[in-house]
Formats: sequence, C-alpha cells, structure tokens
Amino acid sequence: MTEHRHDHHPRPDSRLALRARALEALLAEKGLVAADAIDAVVELYERDVGPQNGAKVVARAWTDPGFRERLLEDGTKAIAELGFGGAEADNLVAVANTPTVHNVVVCTLCSCYPWPVLGLPPTWYKSPPYRARMVAEPRAVLREFGLELPDEVEIRVWDSSAEVRYLVVPMRPAGTDGLTEEVLSALVTRDCMIGTAVPQAGSP
Amino acid sequence: MDGIHDLGGMHGFGAVVVPGGEAPYHERWEARVFALHLLVAMERLGARPGGRATREQMDPVDYLAASYFERWLWSVEQGLVGKGTIAAGEVEHMMERLAAGGPEPSARRDPEQAARAVEWLGEVVPMQPATRPRFVPGQDVRVRRMRPAGHTRCPRYVRGALGMVERVRGAGELPDLAVYGKGAPVEPVYAVAFRSDALWGRGQEPPWTVALDLWESYLEEAE
Repeated sequence: MTEHRHDHHPRPDSRLALRARALEALLAEKGLVAADAIDAVVELYERDVGPQNGAKVVARAWTDPGFRERLLEDGTKAIAELGFGGAEADNLVAVANTPTVHNVVVCTLCSCYPWPVLGLPPTWYKSPPYRARMVAEPRAVLREFGLELPDEVEIRVWDSSAEVRYLVVPMRPAGTDGLTEEVLSALVTRDCMIGTAVPQAGSP
Repeated sequence: MDGIHDLGGMHGFGAVVVPGGEAPYHERWEARVFALHLLVAMERLGARPGGRATREQMDPVDYLAASYFERWLWSVEQGLVGKGTIAAGEVEHMMERLAAGGPEPSARRDPEQAARAVEWLGEVVPMQPATRPRFVPGQDVRVRRMRPAGHTRCPRYVRGALGMVERVRGAGELPDLAVYGKGAPVEPVYAVAFRSDALWGRGQEPPWTVALDLWESYLEEAE
C-alpha cells in the first residue's frame, strides 16, 4: 500500500498527522491502547487480508462447481473453507456475473466493504462521486473505469449500506481452460470483485 | 438522519477515477487511526452511537472537506470524549507537547491486546434467521416515506419507491435504535430490488437494477 504512494491531498496533512499521533500517545499514556496492538491491526490488513484472498475464492469457484454452489448459497460459510472470514464479512453474499447480468457494489451511506476477502477499500470507493453516482448512472461510471457493457446486459448495483457485504464473482475469461487455480487467481483483480472491471485472459 | 453522508444519486461531485484514488490510504497516520478506531471499539472506550453513526453527525461542510480517515479521526475523538475516556482539550494539549518536542510517552507494549485484536477481527457473527417475515420473495413493497432525525439504513433515494422483495436475508436489530443502545426490535431484513425508473425516472442509460437490504419497518405493502 505504501509502495503506491501518490500525492493527492491538496492541503498539508501534517496537522492531522500530529493530531493522530497525539491521540495515540494519549491513549498509550493512559494505558488503554498499546502501540503493538495498533501495529498488529495495521499489519493484518496490509499483509494477510487483501484482494488476494477474494481472488483465491473466485478461482476456486471457477474450478470447483460444488464450491461455487456453496459460495452462492452462503458466502460466509464458503470463504471459511479457505480460512477467510471476520469483521465486515459476517453476512457475505456472493453475486455471480453471467452473460446477461453484471453485478457491481457500492455503499452509498458509508463505505462498507467485505474486508476479509478484499482488504480495505481504495480511496475512490469511499469517495462522494462513486457513492453518489454508481446507483444513478452505473454505465457512465463503469465507462470511466474503461468497462463498456452491451446494452442488453442488465446491470445490478448492490448498495451495501446495511449489514450484508457483497462479493462479485466475475465470469471466467475464455481461453483459460486448463490453467491452475493459482494462475487463475492472478487474473482476478480487486476491481473485478467490486464489479468495476472484468478479468482478462493473460492480464497481470 | 438526512445528512450529507446519504449520497446516493447526488450530482456535482465530478469524476470517480482520479489520480491517487487506488490506495486505501496515503499516510501512515491514516492506517494507525483506522487501527486505533477498531481497538477503541474492541475495548469499549467510546460513547454511542460510535463509528459511522457518529461520523454522520459531522458538520456537512467539514464532512465533504475531510478525507476518509480524517472523519474516522474525528469520530473516534468524539466517542472518547463523549464517554469520558479522555477530556476535552487533552488531545490539543498533547499536540502542543509533541509539537514543542516534549517527551513522547514511551510506547506501551501489550502482546495480549494485540493478539486479542487479531482474534476479535476474525470473529464472525451472522444475522439470525428471520421468524415470521411479513413479506415474501416476489412480493411488491413500497419503502415508507420518512425523515428520521437519527441514524438509519434507509437511504433517501429509495424512500417512497416501489420495489420487489428478492430474498429474506435474515433478522437483525433495527439499527435506527440499536446504535443508541435503545431496546431495538429484531426485524426481518429483506433484499429489495428496484428498477432504475422507479428510483430515477427514465434516464439516458438502458434500465438497470439497484438492490439493497432493508429492515421490515422501512417497508409497507404496495397498494
């Protein structure tokens, strides 16, 4: 994450950084929150929990029809088979793309996101334009991501503002027969599982 | 509440895909505030309503001007002060002390808390099954018109709209009351699908569907 640093903040963050440091120092001084507990949580979501987990789930669904069925029936139970689960996936619902249906996920009220399979959301997912526009002009938003869908494909936008978290199961790209689960999982990007992209054979 | 956080359908925010949009955060303090917020929740150090319901109370001008984790920093501080875990002014005092090069409290280590946090974040608490849901899959429903002063999971853009129940998701406490610790009823939660023209009228794009999960008391039978 830090390796993809971009300077985007129009105003200096130093005041906020100081405020955050002061709050942490205050809670440490009071003996309430330890620095290594903060480190542990940060590391959890930087190292162990991220879209690589969701990619494994999708690749398994592509190669194991029984798993796919269980995933679509009860997402939370199915990802537990691969050792994934936790906060923000207590009620995981997997929604599968088909030749006639394309799913995409947003949270208009907050920025809810299935952490155990996708990690922490990108900045754009949390931004007012995405939260405002995805429910009201999905094709225009998808076009910004470079995704043009035929008119006859029904777009289903899932607003995860309640307690359910959604994982999009994209279609397996043509020309990937015989590839191993591991190779397939490398085709499944984060955006494919949000629904703002579709996997390409031979991509990353 | 009908606050600035309820963004669905609003105009004027510009492009989604902009430089710098890919990373979850850009500064180390943002990651640490994220973690701190979770730890404050785990240790119950903050006041209700906490988290997103607190952030919704932010001044709308500040809300839009703030970055995502700036809002988290604000809400965690509100909760800590609200509960009396820290006193008003203590953060500013510590900021002055640190800015002046004063002594930083020595980093406290607590491996037990660290291990407990990771375990806590791995816990799964699914919704209960719904008993006696009033609506059934395939049934048309209308979202009630409302203007709740407090937290709700019923976005403005679906109120008054006609939709169709797709599934009964389960049952959960009504968040409108639960976040305040008031005896919240456990209600069935439904996945309800809306045709785009029921929400936005006829637009420039081919019709699409918007689906979301709504608690039973947000809904009424379609006339």
